[in-house]
Amino acid sequence: MAPGDVGMTRERFESLAEAYGGDVSRWPAPAREAAALMMASEPGFTQAALARAGALDAALDAWRPAHAGQALLARILAAAPRARRRGWIGWLSPAALGAGLAAACVAGVMVGVELSQHTSAAREVAVTNTLTAVSSSLDLEEGA
Amino acid sequence: MDDTDPDEALLARVAVGEPAAVRALVGRKLPRLMSLAQRMLGDAAEAEDVAQEAFLRVWKQAPRWRPGRAKFDTWLHRVALNLCYDRLRRRREVATDQPPEQIDPGPPPDRGLEARDTAARVSQALAALPDRQREAIVLCHYQELGNIEAATVMGVSVEALESLLGRGRRALRAALADMAER
Repeated sequence: MAPGDVGMTRERFESLAEAYGGDVSRWPAPAREAAALMMASEPGFTQAALARAGALDAALDAWRPAHAGQALLARILAAAPRARRRGWIGWLSPAALGAGLAAACVAGVMVGVELSQHTSAAREVAVTNTLTAVSSSLDLEEGA
Repeated sequence: MDDTDPDEALLARVAVGEPAAVRALVGRKLPRLMSLAQRMLGDAAEAEDVAQEAFLRVWKQAPRWRPGRAKFDTWLHRVALNLCYDRLRRRREVATDQPPEQIDPGPPPDRGLEARDTAARVSQALAALPDRQREAIVLCHYQELGNIEAATVMGVSVEALESLLGRGRRALRAALADMAER
């Protein structure tokens, strides 16, 4: 609160209207009561000061900003924080570990197949059986 | 003065990525950011860039926000004003003697030529003010901040704020004399 607000003067009233406009409800709270007293005791002076300030307020309000476009809204929302998904610790669950081991087995078998160019038909059958077993294991883990 | 921050609870929910809170915060703050930036820059497209950049700062800051240190709205205004001043500085670096071509006053198309002309004149009169006077008027008149909060955002005393407001409004009255006199 400025020093003159308790005992409001004409000069102070005009300064407040000049700074904060013609609507006393938008003035600093501590000044409003003293302003109301002056408005009651000097209605002609105070109304003229408020009208001058209010005319400028109205002129300023003639400029209304454009609204935000949908594209801007979409860009802002796209960058917003998202709820965290399961972190790395979730991969320690038994089902996930099982699936990981099964996948490693598949990879190992495939490498083995690549390396054994001269495998016998019987061995091919064995490899096929192994892949089938691994595939069944994966199915079981996914269903767990 | 009420010291509780009306945005604090919402910000905490934003920090954990709650979609409804994100949308609510954007709905609450985006119009204010657009209003602030357009009045400071006089350009709707640049204002959108400022709003987007300000929200990037919000998303980054939300998980680290420490309640009770500052009001979120005050902080957000300061962030947006800094972004506006960055742009105003860049403009001056490439400035000619001509003021930037004005500008997007932004009234809806159905408001008619007279309203559009009035808005353009206000926009130009504001753009012609010294930066700090314009900032004071934008914060107090358009953003409706209280005098203490506006002074805090600007980093000045309340008395200095009042002085900036008074000088700025007198200049505007002179520039808009035919519109602003009764």
